[in-house]
Amino acid sequence: MRRGPARRIAVLLGQIALAVVILLPFFWMLSVSLKPATEPFAIPARLWPVHPTLANYASAFRPEFRRYFLNSIVVSAATLAITLTLGLLAAYSFTRLQMRILNVFLVAVLAAQLFPSSAIIIPIYRMVKAAGLLNTYAALIIAYITVTLPVAIWMLRGFLANLPRTLEEAAAIDGAGPLRAFFAVVVPLCRPGIVATGVFVLIVTWQEFLFALSFTSTREMRTLPVGMNDYIGQYGIRYGELMASSVMVSVPVILVFFFLQRQFVAGLTAGSVKG
Amino acid sequence: MKETKPGRDGGVVLPLAGMALGATLAAGLLLGATAARAEDVTLQFWDNQQTESGLSQYQKEAVKRFEAENPGIKVDVTTVPYPEYQQRLLTAVQGGNAPDVSTVDQIWQAAFAEAGAIVPLGDRAKSAGMTESQFFKGAWDSANYKGQLWGIPFNVDVWFFAYTNDALFHAAGVDPASVTTWEGLSAAAPKLTDAAKGKYAIGLFAHKGEDTVVVMDSFIYSNGGSVLDANGKCALDQKPAVDALRYMASLKPYAPRGINNAASGDMRELFLNGSLAMELWPALEQPTLQKTHLDWDFVTGFAPQGKTPVGTYGGWNLVIYKQSKHQDAAWKFIHFLTRPDVNGDVVDLIPANVEAAKTFLQQHRKHPEAIMRHLDNARARPLSPRYLEVSDIEVKLAQDVFSGQDPQAAAKTACAAIDQLASP
Amino acid sequence: MTLAGAATTPIRAPRLRRAWRARGRMTAGDRRLALAFAAPAIILVGVLMYYPMIGTFIESLYSVSFINPHPRFVGFANYARILADPVFAEIVRNSLIWTIGVVALQNGFGFAVALLLNHNLPGQGLMRSLVLLPWVLPGVVAAILWRFMYDPQLGLLNSFLISLGLTQTGIAWLANTATALPAAILAAVWKGFPFSTVVYLAGLQSVDREQIEAATIDGAGPWRRLTAVVLPSMRAVIATNLLITTILTFNYFDMIWVLTRGGPEDATHIFPTRIYELGFGQFRFGEAAVYGVFSILVLAGFVAAFLVVQRRQGETG
Repeated sequence: MRRGPARRIAVLLGQIALAVVILLPFFWMLSVSLKPATEPFAIPARLWPVHPTLANYASAFRPEFRRYFLNSIVVSAATLAITLTLGLLAAYSFTRLQMRILNVFLVAVLAAQLFPSSAIIIPIYRMVKAAGLLNTYAALIIAYITVTLPVAIWMLRGFLANLPRTLEEAAAIDGAGPLRAFFAVVVPLCRPGIVATGVFVLIVTWQEFLFALSFTSTREMRTLPVGMNDYIGQYGIRYGELMASSVMVSVPVILVFFFLQRQFVAGLTAGSVKG
Repeated sequence: MKETKPGRDGGVVLPLAGMALGATLAAGLLLGATAARAEDVTLQFWDNQQTESGLSQYQKEAVKRFEAENPGIKVDVTTVPYPEYQQRLLTAVQGGNAPDVSTVDQIWQAAFAEAGAIVPLGDRAKSAGMTESQFFKGAWDSANYKGQLWGIPFNVDVWFFAYTNDALFHAAGVDPASVTTWEGLSAAAPKLTDAAKGKYAIGLFAHKGEDTVVVMDSFIYSNGGSVLDANGKCALDQKPAVDALRYMASLKPYAPRGINNAASGDMRELFLNGSLAMELWPALEQPTLQKTHLDWDFVTGFAPQGKTPVGTYGGWNLVIYKQSKHQDAAWKFIHFLTRPDVNGDVVDLIPANVEAAKTFLQQHRKHPEAIMRHLDNARARPLSPRYLEVSDIEVKLAQDVFSGQDPQAAAKTACAAIDQLASP
Repeated sequence: MTLAGAATTPIRAPRLRRAWRARGRMTAGDRRLALAFAAPAIILVGVLMYYPMIGTFIESLYSVSFINPHPRFVGFANYARILADPVFAEIVRNSLIWTIGVVALQNGFGFAVALLLNHNLPGQGLMRSLVLLPWVLPGVVAAILWRFMYDPQLGLLNSFLISLGLTQTGIAWLANTATALPAAILAAVWKGFPFSTVVYLAGLQSVDREQIEAATIDGAGPWRRLTAVVLPSMRAVIATNLLITTILTFNYFDMIWVLTRGGPEDATHIFPTRIYELGFGQFRFGEAAVYGVFSILVLAGFVAAFLVVQRRQGETG
């Protein structure tokens, strides 16, 4: 939809202002990551260190970090794939099948999300140990699927519910079974919602701490969030390396999202062409 | 108008998901299956990771020495960052996955003993010739519970030393040695404080952490007070303790703002950038200060005129877990680590073995005699299986006092809570 | 078939539905298949969440703790004791303020940002990706960052306020019982609003373009378009997101734990931090289990209230 150029400029300015405000803590984070360990923090806070250095990045990019990174990627990617698949299937059942028992299950599945992790972590730990899966990717992946699946199902359900049934019915007229109709017609239209859910799952698992902490014992199997603790001592924090490490952790995810976010705007571009 | 042709699946996401799944499963199978190599014995040793030092390198060397002296035993060292150490140990013990040997903070020792998670070491220590006199008293006491020895003291430290930024003192015309008395400190503090310029005399802190408790205890002990009296009843509401609390609170205007959420680490940052004339830390702080350009020194705490400052004992002990299948080998490792010739190399707190401590302090710390005196003089916290709850109550007391509550009333509340613990 | 095309078929729908039903809407095989789709989720959640939680509930009926591995059955005595503890009321109060504050602000701000980013201007990709940064940051790091920013001496926020002349000396945001919880809420809103933005941005894509154009032609301004067309058509997404953010926020542990550990003087103590403190900090499992059950009950009450309000609105709307 075309709008006047004045409006476009206003929006752009608004976006820039927003970016500055939101990213202010990140400038700070960047600034701390470039501050040498020998340079103390200044009063008042200084947004740029006196002698910026990349030493923290070099130090933070140690072999353990690379291993933590790999572990996080493996676990997050696997969880993403499985949760999206299972979630879509389950969301389909829950929205398209009119069975009362399923409604009960739907609520029960979401109700599980209410359980505080600290309260159930030890029993789950025992089960994982009994299954011989401690300190493996499998344990984390299974745990993460369990904690993201309920929300994923509900998110997908919300997006699916937004779309009218007539689409599938129209496809059914063409001879497709309801299942095929669902996957062929509805799911592509729901792409922004699916991507949104995928982003949610990815980021939740990327950051999850409690399960990762409990299920991993050796250094080799730790994920990034747990690895961050390496910089936190009993009485002090190694801020420089911690922030450098965080920058290195955040940037790839942003890049991934940058390529994915085009999926959101499928509707936008279609509309503008039509205009 | 773009049309989606029927028959295409969910766009880009599902095939990507499928590929990701395949790739990660393959990677997971390859990398995740860390098969245990069969050796004679492999010990799992967990230790607290002190980020201040490059300790792990010394630990690795010590392990190599041990393995050379004890062929057939391998040691797998896992250093655990402090914030998660307590949780990891607990989860592992409850989940049946405890290591063979680990360090435990003195304040957890009794709970682990009471829970039956660790084994008594009295007989082993005796046959190895370890006696009480070889270790600092506070450390040895912390390893004893209900008449049995449950751990071997590994390292110790004492809260607190008041590290002084002598440059700031001279600029204010104050003699750093004068602050070792309460009277001297009260006189010096206003001269060292200029809030408008962001300069403060003393780094007080009272966040929810054990450092808050040990500092407060030290003030109380230095005034002749106690946390618990000889009968185990709470003594915080007695005059010596209350006076100490009152004194502590009187220093608030000379401390940086935000005491109730400040940690010792925050005060260190202020000390390092020259805003703070005094920071309160154990001997552990020295290596950090040695790396700076500050003109620093220390006094061994504060006490009223005529009394000697008394510090609070802290430190770690080595324990063997009941679940361990290699308790003999585990004992050999503990014996090795606590030998006078090894102890100093594998700790960055002070060795709990007195002999090793003397050497260690001479080599690595300023004013070793002063530190030894403060150590000999120090008192332990009232360790018990429920100490962690006592600690929580004491933190609340500190926060109440610093937020302006009358110390007597606050202490009375704290004592009510503590005495209730004794009678569940 | 486009969305626009679908919008014009409702008149034909009744005939379609009859035709659909005539085919037997779902064959038995389809139905079984669909049930099988729901099964993995149900089984996983049942085994890995319900089973432990029931165990925890049973544990809460015994006086069990780390140092007392021989528990006795005490029934609801633990519950009574904790209810009588003044800390409990504090925690319920804090949890409610925390949850409502964070959810309202995250959704409101998140939605506004989504609107702002829902344009076809150059550099949008970059903008949308940058806005995601707070959410992407590891939770512990974000909390440490904010704790530092709130530092009365060294923090960015106070330096900023001082340079603007709004205050002489730094304010101890996290040490003051009055400002600690609001400060934590602000940090959490910063951390989590991108999630709502992402969800609402996706939801905005399915708003019917033709309806908006029709409204514009009728002379409706941007606000009226928003309230009359956009919001109603996004109702399902909004409701779902409110629900999800409520649940996630209620159980959000990292931020407050790192900022204040629940202090000062329990001013920011919420259920997750209390459970952790009891269970892992002081080894008091039994009481942690009780708090766990209470946590679920309070949150469930919250959610139930929300669903009731939503259903009522759905009926009248």
